[in-house]
Amino acid sequence: MQWISNLTNLTIHIGNTSFENPIWVASGTFGYGTEAPELVDVNQLGAIVTKSITRQPREGNPPPRIVETASGMINSIGLANIGVEKYIKKLLPIYEGLSTKIIMNIAGTDIQEYVEIMEMVESVSSAIAGYEINISCPNVKKGGMEFGVDCEMTAKLTETLRGITERLLIMKLSPNVSDIVSIGLSAENAGADAVSAINTVVGMSINAKTGMSDIFTTYGGLSGPAIKPIGLVAVHKLYQQLTIPIIGIGGIVSGEDAVEYMLAGATAVQVGTANFRDPGISENIIDSLKNILNESNRKVAADLIGTVQTH
Amino acid sequence: MIIERARIKSNRPLAHEIWEMQFEAPNIAREYMGSGQFINILTVDDWNHPLRRPMSIASSEDGFVSIIYKIFGNMTRELTQKKSGETLDLLGPLGNIFSKWDNGSYPILIGGGVGLAPILNLKKACDDNKIEYTMIIGARSGNEHFISHEPEKNIYLTTDDGSMGEKGTVMVPLQRLVEINKNAFIFACGPEPMLRAVKEFAINNDIQAQLSVESYMGCGIGFCQGCVIQRKISKIQTHSYHEKYSLVCMDGPIYNAMDIKFD
Repeated sequence: MQWISNLTNLTIHIGNTSFENPIWVASGTFGYGTEAPELVDVNQLGAIVTKSITRQPREGNPPPRIVETASGMINSIGLANIGVEKYIKKLLPIYEGLSTKIIMNIAGTDIQEYVEIMEMVESVSSAIAGYEINISCPNVKKGGMEFGVDCEMTAKLTETLRGITERLLIMKLSPNVSDIVSIGLSAENAGADAVSAINTVVGMSINAKTGMSDIFTTYGGLSGPAIKPIGLVAVHKLYQQLTIPIIGIGGIVSGEDAVEYMLAGATAVQVGTANFRDPGISENIIDSLKNILNESNRKVAADLIGTVQTH
Repeated sequence: MIIERARIKSNRPLAHEIWEMQFEAPNIAREYMGSGQFINILTVDDWNHPLRRPMSIASSEDGFVSIIYKIFGNMTRELTQKKSGETLDLLGPLGNIFSKWDNGSYPILIGGGVGLAPILNLKKACDDNKIEYTMIIGARSGNEHFISHEPEKNIYLTTDDGSMGEKGTVMVPLQRLVEINKNAFIFACGPEPMLRAVKEFAINNDIQAQLSVESYMGCGIGFCQGCVIQRKISKIQTHSYHEKYSLVCMDGPIYNAMDIKFD
């Protein structure tokens, strides 16, 4: 019954930006959004968070870079990316033509690198809605992790970038810390519009037959349904303490998963590993979310946020 | 590339732990370009195993595509349980194709282990185009072979244990046959040690060779950037982000032997 679905309202707001729906695709799991037009209508998505961009292009790590694990996978791509100059020249013009929102994910090894990248993007006209700051990539030596595990560094980076852009500033948090809430609070107090949680969980996979580690860098980032409970905890804890919106990430493959994250406190969610299996899965998740809302008494997706009942 | 829910037409063992599965997949068959391309199969619908499995297309005609797969782990063992009439979710066709096999040189087709499918596919293309060739298929033992050792038809089998065909690896007949066919062009698919040997042999003897390489894949469409192989020259990449690595799923899986490095 089409008329019923028209009653559902999937719109969500972060800062002063509104998104048509809360289903986004996560950085590093959807390329630059231009790879598979035959398989997915990107304009249906709430937003695309593009693959991490560094100041210079990066080759990434030697293979093997990925391995499947129980209900998940471990990756160690090593931030392979085209670099900010090519991003500005080749991709920003393409993004002008999309109706979905583009969130640019930025990674750096020191504050100066993040600043340079953002200043370069801010210096040109573009349609991007904002930035997600990768302070938590586990796969790069001297990578963003040192920011993501330290409250002071997180605050300093957030504050510096806040001074450069009026666009959305989203800090992406690592689960590989002792207290994710204190990092989130540091980001909030320093002016972030939102936090996204979680990045991948550090993991390892070993081949018993060969005695070899399955990933070149030995450790990698675990993602997929295996980490959903970890992501839900992070979102739920952050929601108790933060006032800015939280974007939930970790093992979302269905409309039910998206609802669970929103009940835990997420304003929006990002679909990650599931894109590797089915690039169009987010469109299905949007439809499923609509159906779930229709079947319940809550027609407004945003009404779900943080309403989980606990014992 | 298309995602298609394909009906299984047949699923049967060909030899010890080697199976063939045929799908009714008209959309993938329509887009199929040639030997070397692969499909990415979702072997289970639950999320215990999130990733698809890449399988080279062994044949494609009249709306059907087939694969030949070796039982390797739980997922491939699960595939053997599928019955005709059931459906599987396929993504494809993906990747590039063997080329120049019809350019007047003498193709030597080499397959080993799991690398049989694209080689048998190319054999059929040669047959259909009345192109003469030699084919060498290697296995550990005779029970893994499902075609006949017929040197008179230029089809040679090898086994590590000597139980069928010639004893040794595919390199044994290859070295001899190249002597006879000065205009040889090698097309090979198989386990990495075999490809390394073929590559080294081809380069040392100044013979052109195209290799179909394997890589652990996350998606097959360039999203994950996981399935890289190191390359020697810069012109073979179009989908990876830089020069050092090439994406096997989109720039490959077929490479000129001299363009890639296995280390």
